[in-house]
Amino acid sequence: MFTHFGGRTVGKGIYWNLTSGERVDVDGTAVLPGTSDERYLKLPNAGICIAGPFAGLLFTFVIPFLCLFVMLMLLPRTVLATGASLSEEAQTCLSCHATPGMTMTFKDKTTVDLHVDAGNFKGSVHTFDCTACHSDVSLDTHPATQYASRQQFLLHLASACRTCHAEEQLMANPQHGRAITRANAPPCSGCHGSHSITKVPTKQEKFSTTQYCLACHTQQLSKSIKGETVSLTVNEDWIKNSVHRDHGCVDCHTTYSKASHPHPAYGSIRELSLAASETCKRCHFDKAVQHTGSIHAKLLSEGDQRAPVCADCHGSHEVGPKALAETIGGQPCQKCHQEIFGAYKGSVHGMAKEGGKGHAPLCSSCHYAHDVKPAMASRSPREVCMGCHPDVTTAHQKWLPNTEAHFDAVACTACHVPGDYKRSIYLRITDGSSGMLLSDTVVRKLLEAGQAVGKNIEPNELWKLYRNLNEERTVTMAGTVGLKDHRHAHFLAPKDRAIRQCEWCHSGNSSFFQSVAVAVARPDGRETMIDVDPAALSSLYAMVPLNQFYVLGSTRVRAMDYLGAAMILGGMAVPIAHGTLRMLTARLRRARQRH
Amino acid sequence: MKKIYLHALPVRVWHWVNALSFFVLIGTGAQIRYRDVLNWMSFQSAVDIHNFFGFLLIGNFAVWAAYYLLSHKLKVYIPDPNLKNFILGTLRQARYYGYGIFVGEPNPHHATPDSKFNPMQQVAYFNIMLLLIPLQIATGILMWDIKRFAAIIAFAGGIKFVDSVHVFLTLFFTAFLFVHVYLATLGHTWSEHIKAMFTGYEEEPESAH
Repeated sequence: MFTHFGGRTVGKGIYWNLTSGERVDVDGTAVLPGTSDERYLKLPNAGICIAGPFAGLLFTFVIPFLCLFVMLMLLPRTVLATGASLSEEAQTCLSCHATPGMTMTFKDKTTVDLHVDAGNFKGSVHTFDCTACHSDVSLDTHPATQYASRQQFLLHLASACRTCHAEEQLMANPQHGRAITRANAPPCSGCHGSHSITKVPTKQEKFSTTQYCLACHTQQLSKSIKGETVSLTVNEDWIKNSVHRDHGCVDCHTTYSKASHPHPAYGSIRELSLAASETCKRCHFDKAVQHTGSIHAKLLSEGDQRAPVCADCHGSHEVGPKALAETIGGQPCQKCHQEIFGAYKGSVHGMAKEGGKGHAPLCSSCHYAHDVKPAMASRSPREVCMGCHPDVTTAHQKWLPNTEAHFDAVACTACHVPGDYKRSIYLRITDGSSGMLLSDTVVRKLLEAGQAVGKNIEPNELWKLYRNLNEERTVTMAGTVGLKDHRHAHFLAPKDRAIRQCEWCHSGNSSFFQSVAVAVARPDGRETMIDVDPAALSSLYAMVPLNQFYVLGSTRVRAMDYLGAAMILGGMAVPIAHGTLRMLTARLRRARQRH
Repeated sequence: MKKIYLHALPVRVWHWVNALSFFVLIGTGAQIRYRDVLNWMSFQSAVDIHNFFGFLLIGNFAVWAAYYLLSHKLKVYIPDPNLKNFILGTLRQARYYGYGIFVGEPNPHHATPDSKFNPMQQVAYFNIMLLLIPLQIATGILMWDIKRFAAIIAFAGGIKFVDSVHVFLTLFFTAFLFVHVYLATLGHTWSEHIKAMFTGYEEEPESAH
């Protein structure tokens, strides 16, 4: 009987809209405003008469308490809570500076927060007057900005610390002494805070290790190593945005703690980076093992410190997610291999990737991510290509005779890179038992013995080399067709621009056969080339060494051409000579027949 | 004039199919090998045609082999097992080609269905049909699918050697063709033997007997 809804016709009375708080007085009958969702409470006149005074009394009694509560909420709580133990001067300063949001802008547009948390200030070890440190300020004078920068302001304040804290005290802890005597040492407040200064032991217990580290390392810190300067500054956001956001500093910097801060000596910044990346192995052991088999690890082992380690690709404090490295923009290889990456971006794969095809390959798709394999000019990347294109054999078999044989000898890139780029013939000398490329030292030694070093290997020298190599082991010389410069493999074109005319290869004057090299292995496993006289391919000397490499038309044995000409001329000579003799002797026969 | 039925129909069919195959195979083979000199057709067409006629030649060889083996007429290819007779016969035939033919002596050999070839022809065709053509076919098949026959090719001395044998035989056959065609004109009339290869019958003057 007390509840009514909007839109209904009601009788005389006072109706109170519970939704909007609006009061509706009805004389006679009327329709309550609003929709049926709006509830109205009908206040009976009698009820108002009885309840009114009581409610009024209650209201007047509660109001002061409400006011008090609001005051407590709105007034700077710290003033009230701590004011009692603060000096009069401090309370005066805090009457303004306890208000959050106050800032001061310096000439260089840097700012400083002027808000002082009274609670923290009271809890600090410095509860004395503000002007004890802010000596240029008094209750009478309050200077306007006179500092060039925030840094200058903070350094000025740091000098106030020295008025109480003597040099001996500051240098007592060697760690502290080292920190404050650096040329670019942060101001005292950088590590200790400004108005919430506590004793370091207290700070150590209160702060997490990471907070403890960042207290200094978020400052502008750097270190000089033999003339090179390395930044020691860590932006907290880097870590927050990295995949290691849940890790603390000491998870990686394992030799550091609140109690220990070693200072190992490094010969160079690069040496420091290499050492720092060692820590990644602790969690990413599998990737570290893969890396040991990579070309990058081999280069490092050879002393080439430019070769990348974990942090060079993944970053140090800002390690991004794997997906980031699988984008054109986030691909780390381009940092060192800009030229090749530029070629890749123009290739069929690069264009597909940039066109939004997520499955299009990037560097690591072919070269692998950690076990980074170098390209081998003399060997087809067939297995890698077929990882994504498994049906290419069937596709080629429709038009390419001896498809498998072509795949064995001709690199995919030899046809799928536009014909503008030079090709080369590689003679891979492999050990018969292991199938591995033979060591270049063995080959060069034999060539040196034959005084064939420093110039192209002549056809007869190739034969001698093969014969000498086979005296101690069984070797195979397999011919392959590839790009002269293996980096050109990154110019892969769409398949309609691939070389399909057989004549590119199968012609005696094919440009592909103008560059020939023996492929052997360096001690680190990478291949190296020794140039060969192209005439060797079609020489009789190659009959045995290159008995498994034959390209119709191109590597034909030239001696056979002369033999063939002689044989055919000989065949033609028989009828010519015999027929001529028959003509010359026709008279003789006729005379004989007459007799 | 006397007519002798010298060439049975299977032999005539085989001969002309063989002739066509030889002509096309030599032509396309030359195109494949000498792309830098000849430009009759594309490399791919040359390979496709060469493969087709290669298999045609193989099938044709099977026709030849089946006919001669089943009809027991292979003996016409087999030289006289009597070495003395064989040598004397060869010398006699060589004397004819080298001397007798010029002075008008009769051919010491008279072709009959059971003795089609003179001793020199027997040696030549015996070697060609039972050694060189099979060898040409074998090397051709090996090169037709070098991956499938990789082990055999390696055993045979490598693809370069196999190809060289194939090419050498081609050169031999090409040279031989000039001699073969020339000898084919040395019948009673210049076209006698050639006509016989179409009709099967060879005409021989009565005086020859």
